[in-house]
Amino acid sequence: MTDPTMLSLSELATALRERIVSSVEVTQALLERIAVWQPALNAFVAVEAQEALRAAEQADTARRSGAPCGPLHGVPLAHKDMYYNAGKPAGCGSKIRAGWIAPATSTAVKRLEAGGSFRLGALHMAEFAYGPTGHNAHLGHAHNPWDRSRITGGSSSGSGAAVAARLIPAALGSDTGGSIRLPAHFCGITGLKPTSGRVSRANAMPLSFTLDTVGPLARTAQDCGLIMSLIAGSDPLDPTTCGAPPWDPAATERSPSGLTIGVPTRFYVDDLEPDVASALDEAVATFRRVGARLVKVDLPDQTAVGAAALIVLGVEATSIHAPWLRTRAEDYGPQVRARLENGLAYSGVQYLEALRWRGLALEAHLEALGDVDVVVAPVARSPAPTLAETDLGPESSAHAAIQTITSFTRPINYLGLPALVVPAGRTPQALPIGLQLIGRPFGDEVLIALGRAFQAATDYHQGVPPAP
Amino acid sequence: MANELTTERVAILAAAARVQLDAASAARVARAVSPTVGRFSAPDIVVPFEVEPATFVVVQHRDARR
Repeated sequence: MTDPTMLSLSELATALRERIVSSVEVTQALLERIAVWQPALNAFVAVEAQEALRAAEQADTARRSGAPCGPLHGVPLAHKDMYYNAGKPAGCGSKIRAGWIAPATSTAVKRLEAGGSFRLGALHMAEFAYGPTGHNAHLGHAHNPWDRSRITGGSSSGSGAAVAARLIPAALGSDTGGSIRLPAHFCGITGLKPTSGRVSRANAMPLSFTLDTVGPLARTAQDCGLIMSLIAGSDPLDPTTCGAPPWDPAATERSPSGLTIGVPTRFYVDDLEPDVASALDEAVATFRRVGARLVKVDLPDQTAVGAAALIVLGVEATSIHAPWLRTRAEDYGPQVRARLENGLAYSGVQYLEALRWRGLALEAHLEALGDVDVVVAPVARSPAPTLAETDLGPESSAHAAIQTITSFTRPINYLGLPALVVPAGRTPQALPIGLQLIGRPFGDEVLIALGRAFQAATDYHQGVPPAP
Repeated sequence: MANELTTERVAILAAAARVQLDAASAARVARAVSPTVGRFSAPDIVVPFEVEPATFVVVQHRDARR
């Protein structure tokens, strides 16, 4: 059969179910590929080969015995090293939490494991998920599989690199200001930042309890939908999920005809690099071809929304880290320490005004949308910059550079909207370009449907980076 | 000006949070954060009297039912 590492998550789940390939064969193939790629990418912080092979053997035995099998039965996965697994280390990309053993398992991982997946290892991330590039002062930097001199994007750096290089079929990331969408864009894969409140964050490392979201990075929109069908839903351990609608698999298969897609008239289309602008134009033409209605949409001022996001993120992250800032400040990397110190500068009144304005900002956004179902926009102004260009220190200009990288992603976290990134172009140097499809609240399934239609009409998601 | 973020003000806020911050760092923080504070205090952002943070959830769920 085909090399199992080249299968998408959905294809792999089917191949396992139909016994075309065994879980042990898949796990061995992934481990062989990881051995080749890991020195070039630094995508994993831990590879648990023996445990994974034992879990694969158990999965194969269970399948042969006719035991009930979940949709991901026998699929090895690895996640950003901030998803707690009881009894396993979760270093969160930091020196401060290096060697810390998690006392409980995150709800999202529990649900994936209830669906039959098992752990192959843990993935690289920005220190405490507080960086958009994939640099890490403690672990070494993650490298982009398409060009090792370039960034993966962050903070889900290992998730982006490992999925793109076919070292793992899918992974969980987290997105507080773009941390799923930026790696998906820079590494050429698909990633979903769900609606706020759609997926439990319980027993995942917090960065900002208002803005944090948990979601998948995978090769296709269909794969992201498969992961979401397992992890979405209310959880008593995370009150923000109360009242969220259940996942609707049928809605992920709807036709794009009848959908209205908005193209922003400003902000998201300003100062784009030519390759990104071309990818957007080409995607608009594709959406039109598959039957969607395209309209212009004039969104409210996104600089105000982005500023509010920075205040909420800054205060909440600094509040969470305040005990360590008081006692172990020297154990942070310089850039993360500087960002945490920035959070000290906002007043209580500014923070609460930023929280109180959130509903009004969402209301204004929805009013501007009218009957638009989805907005299509770039994820960033450029493809992946080099590691050297973005190796930012603690100086205040670094803060501005970080804001630039996240300027198209951060507002969406503040508005709590879902956004799916799909690969939508390549530069002449073969660097991937992604676009984000931004939905309405709890419209995650519509994004999956539209992403599936887009990927049925394009092949940018099929690209495989050349071996190192 | 009330919204101007000075080094001195950053130092006071850091001390109130019981986090040590030297003068150079306070100056860097003031430079880094001032544009955000300035943007958010612009007159186009008005929060009416009755609005609370949970208004966000109300708006979010109302749109989901449309």
